[in-house]
Amino acid sequence: MTTDNVVADPLLPGLRVPGNRVSRRAISYWTARAAASGAVVVAVELVLAAVSGFPAIWRAAIVVTATFVGLHAIIMPRWRYRVHRWEVTDEALYTRSGWFSVHWRIAPISRIQTIDSHRSVGERLFGLANVTATTASAAGPVRIHGLDRELADRLLDQLAVATGQTPGDAT
Amino acid sequence: MTGASDETAMAPVPVGVTADPSVAEQSDAGPSDPQPFDAGPFAAGPSDRGLAMAGAGLAGAGSGVPGARWRRLSRRSMVVRPLTDLVRLLPLLAGLLILHSRTGSGLLWGAAASVFAIVTGLVHWATTRYLITDERVYLRRGLLNQKTLSVARDRVRTVDVTAHLLHRALGVCRVSIGTGRNDLRSSENFHLDGVTRADAESLRLVLLSGVGEFGADEPAAAPARPQAAPAEPGEAPALAGQSALAGQSAAAGQPAAAGPAALAGQPVLAERTTEMVRLRVSWLLFAPLTMTGLVVLGVLFGAILQITNATDINLAATGPVRHVVADFTAFSVLQRILVGGSVVLVGYVLIAMAGYIAVFWNFRLAGQGADTLRVTRGLLSIRATTISLSRLRGVEISEPLLLRAARGARCVAIATGLHVGRGAERDGSALVPPAPRAVAQRVASAVLGLPDDICSGPLESHGRAARRRRYTRALAGAVLIIAAICLATWAQDGPAWVWVASLALLPASALIAADRYRSLGHRLAGGWLVSRTGSLARRRNIISADAIIGWRIHQTWFQRRQGLLTLTATTAAGQQHYSVRDIPVADGLALAAAATGDLLLPFLQERAAADP
Repeated sequence: MTTDNVVADPLLPGLRVPGNRVSRRAISYWTARAAASGAVVVAVELVLAAVSGFPAIWRAAIVVTATFVGLHAIIMPRWRYRVHRWEVTDEALYTRSGWFSVHWRIAPISRIQTIDSHRSVGERLFGLANVTATTASAAGPVRIHGLDRELADRLLDQLAVATGQTPGDAT
Repeated sequence: MTGASDETAMAPVPVGVTADPSVAEQSDAGPSDPQPFDAGPFAAGPSDRGLAMAGAGLAGAGSGVPGARWRRLSRRSMVVRPLTDLVRLLPLLAGLLILHSRTGSGLLWGAAASVFAIVTGLVHWATTRYLITDERVYLRRGLLNQKTLSVARDRVRTVDVTAHLLHRALGVCRVSIGTGRNDLRSSENFHLDGVTRADAESLRLVLLSGVGEFGADEPAAAPARPQAAPAEPGEAPALAGQSALAGQSAAAGQPAAAGPAALAGQPVLAERTTEMVRLRVSWLLFAPLTMTGLVVLGVLFGAILQITNATDINLAATGPVRHVVADFTAFSVLQRILVGGSVVLVGYVLIAMAGYIAVFWNFRLAGQGADTLRVTRGLLSIRATTISLSRLRGVEISEPLLLRAARGARCVAIATGLHVGRGAERDGSALVPPAPRAVAQRVASAVLGLPDDICSGPLESHGRAARRRRYTRALAGAVLIIAAICLATWAQDGPAWVWVASLALLPASALIAADRYRSLGHRLAGGWLVSRTGSLARRRNIISADAIIGWRIHQTWFQRRQGLLTLTATTAAGQQHYSVRDIPVADGLALAAAATGDLLLPFLQERAAADP
């Protein structure tokens, strides 16, 4: 699955961009998630404001929060989608994630201990899944979020086979 | 003593044991072809797998293999789980019952909780499945949040079977499969709660004997067993019991216990004990310069509070205290400050020294044989830690600000299986207690066989942008705090001197920023990655490049503007990750590439190609 079109990483000149994007549906999922958690905050504020009879300061706070939540729900998922990328080579798992802050992670296939997939309720609604490869280091898990479900299943299989090739306990 | 924990975990399993027939049949039916979908990674598996298989993602493991089947937990786990949940909820339920005893809704709550517990038990049973193939172990669980865990059988190190009272009453147990993975979150643990005893036993046999079969060149456990067995035949079962309980900590605690046995069994090696460090009384002067004294003080204070609370004694009302308070209030303000200050200072110094003595008395670090270090220390409870050199991946030389001012430092081992804790826990892996810096550096280089200048020499600095970032961060923090203080005094009509005094934060933070920049540095020499950070707690981490099992590169939006990045090496030892902060982008990538060439190189892009 090594991609041939090597593209320099505009975010970090010197590294190249991991080959694959995550599923486009991830944008909707992240939007929904951000909107839902933002809505909870706004709802709590509304309740608190209603208790004290909607004073001006509360109204201002609600407007500010709602604007912030809305902007976050619109900007963050699209920005995130442009950042999130992943790639599996014969030697390593390579991912880029984040949005405002960006993380690149590299884990050698030979050091992978366990491979997990996880699908929360929200992810299932959007047909998504995430795959986690852990290494012997507690700080080393590599997570790929927002994958298409079937792609995640196949990736899990692929990684399972690839890690099986290296004997040893991988510390 | 390599693989100590592995060895003990395997001790109960007889060597070359034959698994019972049912299990053998199951594992025989597993895939014989290690790569059932060699048609290309993504060509495998029917693309329209239905929901039945969804979440598993195990086309390769499951569908490609006719015999290997998913197994469920024991049906009895449907009883165990609700009961344990209910027992846990008992205090809550009792409270509700009492609270609502008049209205009778307490019963309703109880019924609801019981129904909930029963349903979760059923769901847990219905959704948890596991599969063992020739190569891997899979575990699926969860109804709404679905989770699939998988681990190569090679990587299985321990299989712990535990059963609490309820488990035992129903004849089931809990099987935890330990891998080298150091994940601290328990929810990601690989465990099966509620398999029958027979299943658990056969699981253990299959998984552990499988390790022996599949990896001839493999875990440290295999070679360690024959060595240890003759040396300590009587001790093995006892140690195994310990390790099952202690888990990770067994690696630290258990070699110490095995030390004497090794002494008896291998006289040739044991003779060569070379002492490297022994505590000197003059080092006690460093005691007040670390946080240990404060910790002891906190513990003492807490204990006094506990005692006075428990015994209902009002300490302030007792005779001696009243006398002291009365005398004290008779002083003038200046006298109060002088007397109070000196009492606190002397008390603190004494307590810190007492703490140092209690922890580090008789501290002795010695090389034992060719490949182990032995640390003994302690006044009341004596601790002995044995660290195998093959597990030692580096050292950390830490110099908290005060200690550094007095040219002191301490040294901590970075080893796999030795968890580096915080505060007092850190002492578990101490190689040198707070002592003169030269001693710490000498020991660090002697233990790792390093050239001296790696532990003490100059490092490569991170340049202008990193310095600017230190100042902006420190000053921005100070400005925020000052703004908050100004706002608070304005809102509360507080005295003006409060916010005027808070301005002192500005020069203080600038000083810290300057010092933080001075501390910042990295170096790669002879296969050792050295990084140093911090001001209030400055640390120089020296880790072996061979111990690096992955990289994390982190860049905030601000760092991107400044052309910096934070490079983190992940490792299985010590704190699990060691960072080089705010290194210029090109330097950082070059450093990572030089440290572990094969790993990073495929992902590097020529600079020339990157610039349009």
